[in-house]
Amino acid sequence: MPQTFVKIIIIGLLSGLGSVTWADVVVVVSEKSPIQALTSTQLTDIYLGRLTRLPEAGSVVPVDQVEQSNTHHDFYQQYLGRTPAQIRAHWSRLIFTGRGQPPKAVESDAAMAEALRRNPSAIGYMDSETLPEGMRVIDIES
Amino acid sequence: MTETASKTPPRTPNKKLQKLLEVPVLMGALGLIGVVLIWAATFHLAGDVVRNASRNAASAATDAADTYEAQVVRALREIDQTLKLVRYDVQRHPPNVAINALNERNLLPPSLLFSVAVLSPRGEILATHGRFGLEHPEEHDFFQRARRTDQLTLSQPVETPEGPFLYFARGMTENQTSEVIVLAVHAGYFVSGYDRATLGEQGVLGITGEDDHFRVRRTGEEISVGAPLGIVATAVPENDEQSFAPLIEHPRDQIERYTVVRALFDFPVSVVVGLSRAEQLAPARATAHEYYWRAGLASALLILTIGILGRLSWRLQKARRQTMEERVQHAQKVEYLAFHDSLTDLPNRAYFSRMLTQSMLEARRYHREFALLFLDLDRFKNINDSLGHDAGDELLQEIARRLTLSIRESDIVARLGGDEFVVLLPEITNPEQVVPVAEKILAACARPFTLVGQEFRVTVSIGITLFPQDGDDEQTLMKNADMAMYHAKEMGKNNFQFFSESLSNDSLERLTLESSLRHALERDEFRLYYQPKRNMKSGEITGVEALLRWKHPELGLILPMQFIPMAEENGLIVPIGRWVFRTACQQSVDWQAQGMPPISMAINLSARQFIDEHLLDDIKLALEETGMNPSLLELEITESMVMRDVDATLAILNELKAMGVRVAIDDFGTGYSSLSTLKQFPVDTIKIDASFIRDLTRSLEDRGLTEAIIAVGRNLSLNVIAEGVETSEQYEFLQGQACDEFQGFYGNEALPAEEFRHLVATGSLKAPRAGDH
Repeated sequence: MPQTFVKIIIIGLLSGLGSVTWADVVVVVSEKSPIQALTSTQLTDIYLGRLTRLPEAGSVVPVDQVEQSNTHHDFYQQYLGRTPAQIRAHWSRLIFTGRGQPPKAVESDAAMAEALRRNPSAIGYMDSETLPEGMRVIDIES
Repeated sequence: MTETASKTPPRTPNKKLQKLLEVPVLMGALGLIGVVLIWAATFHLAGDVVRNASRNAASAATDAADTYEAQVVRALREIDQTLKLVRYDVQRHPPNVAINALNERNLLPPSLLFSVAVLSPRGEILATHGRFGLEHPEEHDFFQRARRTDQLTLSQPVETPEGPFLYFARGMTENQTSEVIVLAVHAGYFVSGYDRATLGEQGVLGITGEDDHFRVRRTGEEISVGAPLGIVATAVPENDEQSFAPLIEHPRDQIERYTVVRALFDFPVSVVVGLSRAEQLAPARATAHEYYWRAGLASALLILTIGILGRLSWRLQKARRQTMEERVQHAQKVEYLAFHDSLTDLPNRAYFSRMLTQSMLEARRYHREFALLFLDLDRFKNINDSLGHDAGDELLQEIARRLTLSIRESDIVARLGGDEFVVLLPEITNPEQVVPVAEKILAACARPFTLVGQEFRVTVSIGITLFPQDGDDEQTLMKNADMAMYHAKEMGKNNFQFFSESLSNDSLERLTLESSLRHALERDEFRLYYQPKRNMKSGEITGVEALLRWKHPELGLILPMQFIPMAEENGLIVPIGRWVFRTACQQSVDWQAQGMPPISMAINLSARQFIDEHLLDDIKLALEETGMNPSLLELEITESMVMRDVDATLAILNELKAMGVRVAIDDFGTGYSSLSTLKQFPVDTIKIDASFIRDLTRSLEDRGLTEAIIAVGRNLSLNVIAEGVETSEQYEFLQGQACDEFQGFYGNEALPAEEFRHLVATGSLKAPRAGDH
C-alpha cells in the first residue's frame, strides 16, 4: 500500500512539472457545439484526419494553428504525443498521395475563436489564459 | 615346374580390383547420382525462386515508378496551378490583397507544407502565405532566373534549419520587370510517399532536375538532396519498355537496385525509383537457403545411407570374396591333386594327356614338330621287391628330380604311373635335336642312387616318337613311344630308340598279347592241360605233366612258348606260377577224391620262378591249402637253370627235398652240365629232351647220346623219362634201352582235366595208340 501512495505522489509531481513546462493549451469548441467530451483517441483521430463524424455530435471539423506558433507545438505534444515534424510528415504523405488535406490553420487564438464561432461543428485549441467569451473547454479523457 | 605355376587360372589385378570395387562403386555412383539430382533440383528450384523474386522485384519497381510518377505529376500540377492562380490574381490586385483573398477562399495549399510568396523584381517579398525567408544568395539567383522565363522553374534544394526546401517559381510574362510568384515546399514532401511495404529500408525514391542531380532522395528514413544521379542515369537505357527496371549498383551506397528513371513529359523533372535487390530478394534468398539446407541434409542422409549400405555390402562382398577365394584355392588344390602325381609332384597321366593334346593342337596350327620320350626304369621291380616300396618311392622321386633338371623349362615331364615317365620336348625341328636330351637323361639316371644307405645303379630305357610323323593322335603317339621303349629294352636296356614303322609291325602282336596277358589271370583265361606219363614196360599211366595253356578270347589257345618269355620279362610269371601250383595241386587232390589212383603231378618251373625268393613259400602254401601229398609233386627245372648258380640251386633243391617234393631235370642233354655237378644235386628224375628223341631213328649220334643219357640215369639211380615220343619206332627203341617212362603223342597228348579223368576212368591205362603208329 505505501508503494502505491508513493507512485501516486510521484505521478502527481511529474504531471505538475509537465504543467509548469508547457503553456496550458486547452481544446475548445463553440458554446453551441454539441460536443461535450472527447477521448484522447478521438481527438487524435480528428486531428490526423481519420475521424470526421462523432456518433452523438455529427460531423466535426478540426481547426489548426500555424506551425510556427507555440500553441501548435504544445497542443500536438500534449494531446497527440507527436512532434510538429511528425505531424508535417503525416500530412505531407496524405497530401502527396492524395488522400487528405490538413486542417485549416489560423494564425492566433483570436482567429481560432472567430473560426469556432463561425462553425459550431468546428473544434480547436488555444492557450487557456486567453480563453475568450463563447468558448467551451472540452475535457479530454485519457 | 613352370607348367604347374601357369596352371592356376589367370586373374589379372585389374579384374581383381574391379571385383573388389564392383558394389561400392555402384553404390557410390548411385549416391553421387542421387546427390547430383538433389542438388540439380535444388539449384533449379532456388534459381527459380530467386529469378521469380527478381522478376517480381523488377515488376514492383516498375509499378512503384508508375504510382510515384503519377503522384509527382499530380503534385507538380497542383503546385503549378497554385502559381498560375496567384499570378493571375496578382496581375489584377495588389499582391497582399490577392494572397489574403486566395487564402480566405481556401485556394492556397496548406501552409503546413507550402509557403507562397510574391517577390518584387529585385527580390523583395511583396506578399506571403506561410513562412517565407530569403537568406541564401542562391535563392536570389534562382528568382532572377525564374523571372525571365514563362516556364515553371525548379530551384536547387536549399538547406534550412527546418530541412531542405525546394522552390518553384513562375515569372509574369507580360513584363520583364514584373514580380515573381514563388512556392516553397519541404523537399521531403516529394518523397513522403515512401512506403516501406513496397520500397523496404534500402529502396530509393527521388526526383532529379534537368541537371541530373537529386532534388530530393529518400532511402528508408534518410532524406538527402543534391547528390548527382551519377552512373544510374547513364546506365539506364532509353525507356521504351514499360516494365523495364534494370539492376544497377548505385554509386552512392554501392547497393544494387532495380532502378527505374523516368523523365516526366510535362515538367523538367525525372522520377527515380529503386528497389534494393538484396532486400527484395531476401525472402527468396532465405527460401533458397532453406532449400540448400534441406538439400544438404538430404545429401548427408543419402551419403550416410549409401555409406552404411556400401560398408555393409563391402563387408558382405569381402566375406563372399573370402569364401570365393577359399573355394578357388580349394578347387585349385583339388585340381592340382587331380592333375599331379602326389609322389613326385609331376603332372600325372590325365594332365599330361591334356598338355599333349594342347601341344598337338599348337603344333598342328603352327606346323611345328615335337618329340615324346617314353621312359621306363629298367629292373625297377627288382628294387621295389628287394628294398621295399619306400625305397622304390624314394627312387622315383629322385628320378623325377633328375629328369626335371635334365630338361629345359619349356619341356614337360610327367609321370604316367609306376616307373613310367614321359618327357615332351616342344618345338623340335630335327630329330637330331632329341638325341642330346635323351643322352642327358640316360646319364642323369645312370648316376648312382643312395637308397636306404646303399648305393644303387638304375638305368632307363627310352622310346622316342615324333609328332606328327610317328602318330597323329595321342593314342598312336603314346603306343608307338611305348613300343620304341620296348625296343630299347630289347636292345639291352639303358639306351634310347626312335620309333620306326618296322618296329611297329613286330611289336604290334607282342603288345596286344602283353596287354591282355596282364588281364589273363583276373579274367581266368589260363587252363592247365595234363599230359600223361606212362610206364615204358606196362604202358600204365604213372603221372601227368601239367602244361599251361592260355585260352585267349580272340586268339584262341596260346602255347606257353608264346607268352612265358613275356611273362618272365614283366614278372607276371610269378603270380601265374602261383596259380599253376595252386590249380595243379588242387586237381591232384580232386582226382584222388574222385577215386583215381595216386599219380604224380609234374609242374614246370621257369628260370625267373626258380630264382624267385618266394618260390618255396608259394609251393608250401599250395600244398598246405590243398592238402596234397608232397611226394606226388614233381618240379621240372631245366638243365640250364640248375647250372646257373650251383650253390643257390643246391640250397633250393635241398629245401624241396626236405619238403618231400620230387625234382626232375627237364630237357636233359641240351646243357653242358658236368656229371659230377649233377651228381651233387638231389634230383629224382631226368627227362631226355625231345630233340634227341625226334631224330632217334635217323641220327646215330642222337641215338648214342640217348643211350648214354639213359645209362647215366640208371647209374645214378634216377628215373629216366623220354619226352616227345611220337612214333612206334621211337617207342620200341626206348623200350629196348630200358627207359623208365615216356610221354608224347605216342602215349597221349595233353588233355583237359575232365578228359584225362575220363581217360583213366575208361581203363585205357595201356597206350591206346600203341599199335596205331
